[in-house]
Amino acid sequence: MTDPNRERYRIRETAFYLFTQQSLPACKPVLTPGWVITIFLFMGLIFIPVGLVTLRASHSVVEIVDRYDIECVPESSRIDKISYIQDDSIPKNCSRFMKVRKYMKAPINIYYQLDNYYQNHRRYVKSRSDKQLLHGRKYHDTSSCQPVELNNGQPIVPCGLIAWSLFNDSFTFIRERAELKVNRKNIAWKSDRDHKFGKNVHPFSFQNGTLIGGGKLYPKIPLSDQEDLIVWMRTSALPSFRKLYGRIEEDLDVDDVIVVNLMNNYNTYSFGGKKKLVLSTSSWLGGKNNFLGHACIIVGCSSLVLAIVFTLLHLKYRR
Amino acid sequence: MSGWDTVNLPLKSQPGSSRLKTVSRTVTLGRVQPQMPTFRTIFCNDRDANFAHRYKGNSISTTKYNIFTFLPKGLYEQFRRVANLYFLMVSILSATPYSPVHPVTNMVPLSLVLLFSLIKEAFEDWQRFQNDNAINSTLVDVLQAQGWETLQWKKLQVGDIIRVKQDGFFPADILLLASTNADGVCYIETANLDGETNLKIRKGLEKTWDYSSPEKACEFKGEVQCEQPNNSLYTFSGNLVIDNQTLPLSPNQILLRGCSLKNTCFIVGAVIFTGHETKVMMNSMNVPSKRSTLERRLDKLILALFCTLFSMCLLGAMGSGMFIDRKYFYLGLRENVEDQFNPSRRFLVIILTMLTLLTLYSTIIPISLYVSIETIKFIQSSQFINKDLNMYHAETNTPASARTSNLNEELGQVEYIFSDKTGTLTRNLMEFFKCSIGGEIYGTGMTEIESGIAERIGINVQELQTSTDSVQEKGFNFYDERLLRGAWRNEPNHDACKEFFRCLAICHTVLPEGDESPQKIKYQAASPDEAALVLAAKNFGFFFYRRTPTMIYVRESHVERMGKTQDVSYEILNVLEFNSTRKRQSVVCRYPDGRLVLYCKGADTVIYERLGSGNDYLNKVTRDHLEKFGSAGLRTLCLAYRDLAPDLYESWNEKFIKAKSSLRDREKKLDEVAELIEKELILIGATAIEDKLQEGVPSCIQTLSRAGIKIWVLTGDKMETAINVAYACNLLNNEMKQFIISSETDAIREVEERGDQAEIAHFIKEDVKKQLKKCLDEASQYFCSPSGPKLGLVIDGKCLMHALDPSLRIMLLTLSLNCASVVCCRVSPLQKAQVTSLVKKGARKITLSIGDGANDVSMIQAAHIGIGISGLEGMQAVMASDFAIAQFRFLEDLLLVHGRWAYIRLCKVVMYFFYKNLAFTLTQFWFTFSTGFSGQRFYDDWFQSLYNVIFTALPVVMVGLFDKDISPSLSKKYPELYKEGVKNMFFKWRVVVLWAFFAVYQSLVFFYFISASTSTSGGRPGKMFGLWDVSTMAFTCVVVTVNLRLLMMCNSITRWHCISVGGSILVWFVFIFLYCGVMTPLDRNDNMYWVIYILMGTPYFYVTLLLVPVAALLVDFLFLGVQRWFFPYDYQIVQEMHKDEIHGTGLSGLLESKHEHTAEVARSSEISRLPREVSKHSGFAFDSPGYESFFASQFGKYVPPKAWDVARRASMKSKAKPK
Repeated sequence: MTDPNRERYRIRETAFYLFTQQSLPACKPVLTPGWVITIFLFMGLIFIPVGLVTLRASHSVVEIVDRYDIECVPESSRIDKISYIQDDSIPKNCSRFMKVRKYMKAPINIYYQLDNYYQNHRRYVKSRSDKQLLHGRKYHDTSSCQPVELNNGQPIVPCGLIAWSLFNDSFTFIRERAELKVNRKNIAWKSDRDHKFGKNVHPFSFQNGTLIGGGKLYPKIPLSDQEDLIVWMRTSALPSFRKLYGRIEEDLDVDDVIVVNLMNNYNTYSFGGKKKLVLSTSSWLGGKNNFLGHACIIVGCSSLVLAIVFTLLHLKYRR
Repeated sequence: MSGWDTVNLPLKSQPGSSRLKTVSRTVTLGRVQPQMPTFRTIFCNDRDANFAHRYKGNSISTTKYNIFTFLPKGLYEQFRRVANLYFLMVSILSATPYSPVHPVTNMVPLSLVLLFSLIKEAFEDWQRFQNDNAINSTLVDVLQAQGWETLQWKKLQVGDIIRVKQDGFFPADILLLASTNADGVCYIETANLDGETNLKIRKGLEKTWDYSSPEKACEFKGEVQCEQPNNSLYTFSGNLVIDNQTLPLSPNQILLRGCSLKNTCFIVGAVIFTGHETKVMMNSMNVPSKRSTLERRLDKLILALFCTLFSMCLLGAMGSGMFIDRKYFYLGLRENVEDQFNPSRRFLVIILTMLTLLTLYSTIIPISLYVSIETIKFIQSSQFINKDLNMYHAETNTPASARTSNLNEELGQVEYIFSDKTGTLTRNLMEFFKCSIGGEIYGTGMTEIESGIAERIGINVQELQTSTDSVQEKGFNFYDERLLRGAWRNEPNHDACKEFFRCLAICHTVLPEGDESPQKIKYQAASPDEAALVLAAKNFGFFFYRRTPTMIYVRESHVERMGKTQDVSYEILNVLEFNSTRKRQSVVCRYPDGRLVLYCKGADTVIYERLGSGNDYLNKVTRDHLEKFGSAGLRTLCLAYRDLAPDLYESWNEKFIKAKSSLRDREKKLDEVAELIEKELILIGATAIEDKLQEGVPSCIQTLSRAGIKIWVLTGDKMETAINVAYACNLLNNEMKQFIISSETDAIREVEERGDQAEIAHFIKEDVKKQLKKCLDEASQYFCSPSGPKLGLVIDGKCLMHALDPSLRIMLLTLSLNCASVVCCRVSPLQKAQVTSLVKKGARKITLSIGDGANDVSMIQAAHIGIGISGLEGMQAVMASDFAIAQFRFLEDLLLVHGRWAYIRLCKVVMYFFYKNLAFTLTQFWFTFSTGFSGQRFYDDWFQSLYNVIFTALPVVMVGLFDKDISPSLSKKYPELYKEGVKNMFFKWRVVVLWAFFAVYQSLVFFYFISASTSTSGGRPGKMFGLWDVSTMAFTCVVVTVNLRLLMMCNSITRWHCISVGGSILVWFVFIFLYCGVMTPLDRNDNMYWVIYILMGTPYFYVTLLLVPVAALLVDFLFLGVQRWFFPYDYQIVQEMHKDEIHGTGLSGLLESKHEHTAEVARSSEISRLPREVSKHSGFAFDSPGYESFFASQFGKYVPPKAWDVARRASMKSKAKPK
């Protein structure tokens, strides 16, 4: 036995001895008032700045939200919105005006926001075939797509409820009579485009059934380029969600009035869902969201307050 | 060679013997074959003849499984656990379309848990198998073809003639044929059976004495007809038919497996019962397995979780029934909708969604909890308890041993200890310790109790190491220069000394054995007290070396002849024996010069009654001394003598002979005659014998009682002895209010003499009732006042028998539960168990029994925790026990350190499991509300399945092993901390609710913080998160938070805590990196692909990861701070008192206890400074020879002839010698 070996053996023995005698070296944190105060103070000092920075980022975002689902139904049809929306013969176009209150720097994201829409319903979430999305008709097993699986015995591509209920309102933006250029590319995550939707998969027999759920797809364009579909199929976590529609790549000035010509095709009336159009700039943290900032500040402030209260208590009732 | 080894090892049956296989099959069908006759016939030395009977082989198997039964039986055992069964059901449910989760979600944790448990079972069974194998392969000499052949135990067959050598163990139950000792006698030690270390005599039939050589033994063709195997250790009936002669057999010829041969060169015997049919094996079955109280409480918690689960499911299912509606056109509910979502069948929707949610929320039941607990307990017991150096007894090389790992935490909640006396509290070793001669105390020793008192009042008394030149012998622990080595001749009262020593040397019933030299002689005595007294006489220079029926020979060193010895023979004229009513023993002897003296020794009360007048001063001083001895826990005897005039003696002797020869009431008449001469005695002095306590017993008891543990002594001894030991152990003292309920009253004795059993029973019962009532009335006035004296209860077996009667039981319980200590004497093993279960069931307290002998087994099994004393004594108690320790004092470590820690740790583990699963599952629950109650899973299948078994499994085990609130020395220094366990402070519903509150709060933080913060923000440029991004974010926060929460609950954080907590979080990230990064054609895993990289590419991830865990833990932290500050637990106070001390390793603690040697002069003066309150207790105790057979007769056990029948034995001996 060489020396380092013996040394190692000895160390192991010692460690095992300490283990069995339950005397392993340990630090014993005792949560004395001093420590409590220090930790609270520390928390406060960290979270208040973080919160302020986050809140500032959120405040720097300019956001215009316009709910259009009611306004875009003609007064006469408002009593029975469902038959209005289901009647293909009625033109669905509609114009909305949005006033820019603050300077908005490009790129300005265009979102549509749906409320009370359960994209996370279990029946909905599982009604898709990931393999078909990638391999197209070569992949035959579409059983997971129920109930939108087959049309006249032929598998639908893309199959499933999610694709079937594709959102199909469309928006054009006009500022001072000139149409704003809307970039509809790169609205889906790259990983989805590249790995989940086939480059050679073309829609087939899509929305040909007796019931039309939502938008149609151009049969000529492969799924990997149908970014609306890709965005739509990344199902949302909550029943109220925003999805990216496109980007306006021009700055908008204060008091600009944007005319939005939209096609109000999508039926949210039957279940009382809301539709909103959102124009929003973005910060480093994403869109406008005060929650994180507020939460940080609340955590920080309460820590600080607790630290002070504890200090006072500590001074008054010294142990 | 035939069918013996096939019985338990069917796989190993010898090739080519198809018949053997059928044998094994029939045998394994059932233990008792229906056609079995009521007796068996064994043909000794004839394997072929015995073969027809197909007796069992001698190989034993204690394994639970074999290769074929392992899987089915092992799985069956596992699925008896509700949690496992539940998960099996959920797994099956997961395979149905109603499940939102893949079957893998529940299968993976279940199979991991099962795999782990099965491996553990297999390992334990393998160890048992190895153990069996070692036993089965022990070698023994078997007679084969004219010679001894060494065979393995397992090859032994019924009817074989075997030879067992000295110190060897008997491989089976054997009929003793011949022995190398004269008269076919052999000595055996039955320690393994009943824990008694004294040798027992077995004697072969005279007819078979000669068959000791192989040649002769070959000729032996006996036929044994005996009872079928049974488990009664002390009975045996059968006949040996030899040469057409039928000789009856008794237990006296049977050598049981498990005993060992002593003091005999070898014996030859015939095997009659083998393997599992031996009496010891038939006894060692069906040891009830115990479950700890904590585990039973845990079941309740699990039940509560099931209820929670059920209500969560019900709530969700109702929601789903209400939610589902055709208006949600995008759900495609128009035509041929499956039942679960069919809006027109809402009731069915509710039912099916119940099932869905049941699988979804299954994580609320902590499946890995039991495995984790078992692992923790196993390591705790095998590594910590078994290897603790503080509980290692170096002298006997015995470490503590946890024989079950089920009960570790139970050790932390013990409220009542039931202890045996002999061998547990005491060493069963009597040592001559002090004496008082002519009004002068001799002996400088200090009893444990004295040093205990000294330590308590702060005098630092170091244990005296007796100087090397002093006389040291087992049984003689006396040191005083004034008396030893003949120095007593210079004492002023040397005449008294001489009488004192003579009395010791003459007045006894001891029998010397072995060489007649002071070094080699051995004294055989009925009681160890007597031996100690004679031994003392020897050391003082009065060496008793020979006894004949009429003479006692003593080698004396006299005053007159300095340094010379003189052999003096005293003629023993009469022996007036000891019994429990007389409490004294006298000898009338004639000096060589014709002087007639009566020497008497006995209890102070009886001696003082019979002292002559005059000499009041001496009597008074001696009485003081007796009290002093008594309060020091010593057993005292008074010595007295009386010179007899020849004519007085002669007239008395006539009466004595007459009484002796009377046929009726001889005992009573003898007692009356003795009274006539045992009077006008002259007091010589008093002896003080230390019933040597086990080391550290008083201080251990002191510590334990400070810890709120009440200690009851249950002993078979007499009341005096028991009380004496209770004094010595500090269980009783004079400040206590003592209640004594005894059957030794005159009234009872009177009734008993009338002999009507029914009347006796009735009378005693009434009497006990009266006594109990009186005690209770008296005691109840102290119940409420905390300042009142402590209460103590002493009760004897006969009274106890009646007090345990259902009608009196309540009274007994009320009284005894209010006593600080209870002493039950003269109780039978059964009563010990009854008392134990009285407290266990009647008072619902956690009980612990500790004992060393077979008579403690029932008590050990009855208590929640049974502890056996291992090392010196036998194995029976240890075999029945849950823990075995070498010394009583190790209880302190076992309970206060190991038990306390195990309890605290286990509570933490359970609570943490509860919390982490609740917090996790509740996030899922909140999510259900925003999915239209559809039962959509929030997390990926693998997250959910690995959450319990990978991402949060290890750190909690670390807490279960390493968490240490205070050091062992502190928990022994503040035994009061133990009360937290007794009160179950850490596993109350209050604690559960608290943890549940934190779990609910945290789950709300997880779900709502993350859903609120992702609703509008996302990645750049403007892309939004989907469901799986959000859930991965949430899960990351859960894993981090839950692991950090663990660190917050640790009292000590070792390297391993950091490694395991950091490791768990790291493993999660490594897992998710791989899981999200790899997409194989087989498992496309589209949902999760690249999710974590998308998340980590956004600053949002980092801000959230900082915010959510802190926000979730803030309230916990606040609670911990406030709790410690304003409502601290006791241990937290101790922690802070000692937080600046450097906690050394265990070594320093060991070093501290080393004693320093100090001058003995200083010590004596220290002793003299001790406070000595006047005691009413004078410490008389003397083992009455009669009680030994007390239990024996109860068992129907064979009782050897009275050992104190000295004269008879002496005559036998002298006859035997010339031979």
